Amino acid sequence: MDNLNTATDLIPAARQEGDSIILSVRGELDLHNSPELRTHLLDLLNRTKPRRLVLNLGGVPYMDSSALAVLVEALKKMMKTGGRVFLVALQPRVKGLIEIARLATIFGICASEQDALAEKIP
Amino acid sequence: MTVAPRELRLRMTSDPANLASVRREVEAFTAACGFPDPARGEIVLVVNEALANITRHAYGGAHDRPVELVATFEHGLLRITLRDWGCGEAPARRAVDHDPLQPGGVGLICLHRLMDTIRFTPQSDGMLLTMERRL
Repeated sequence: MDNLNTATDLIPAARQEGDSIILSVRGELDLHNSPELRTHLLDLLNRTKPRRLVLNLGGVPYMDSSALAVLVEALKKMMKTGGRVFLVALQPRVKGLIEIARLATIFGICASEQDALAEKIP
Repeated sequence: MTVAPRELRLRMTSDPANLASVRREVEAFTAACGFPDPARGEIVLVVNEALANITRHAYGGAHDRPVELVATFEHGLLRITLRDWGCGEAPARRAVDHDPLQPGGVGLICLHRLMDTIRFTPQSDGMLLTMERRL
């Protein structure tokens, strides 16, 4: 396991385990800080090129559609190379937005990082 | 006993840095009106999305333009209006079966799904958005 430097308070912890990247995201995510999240998330993906991205959103009590669009952009990037994105520990309001956007079956939704890491990648 | 109507008035700029404080004000107001979760969270989300759309679309991304929010609660009906002085164009609604991986439109979907009514009324100098939800 390797710890990764993220350089943003929005992603206070990041590590690599094999071909998986596990990120903890923290804070309320909206149009004010979603551009910063986008910059750092895409930088991490470009640096590490994982097959599995696990986003622990347990520390995210609120997210708006601009932040969701960042996650979708990361998902589409991963899908180009057959990778998958898992969202972990969703708080109720975040889960609600993902369901409204009809993305609940497109992202992998897991209760824990362990569950996300156990999911098979085709 | 007659319960006096409640009102929240906020005047802000279109800077997204204001979104968090507006969410807190709306959360507190809707809680005082008696809205439980998840309704309260849904209303907060709707207001946030509407404000973000004003910044992005009515004002083309400008962060220094005026926005006025008025929320009232009377006889069990929450009414929220958002006034901007932007381009005055009502947003086009995304098709229900639109590809969820295509960007854009989620905010408007939230407005339509989570509020009982929404109405865009063009003004001579901008737009008035009126949203209602019954307790």
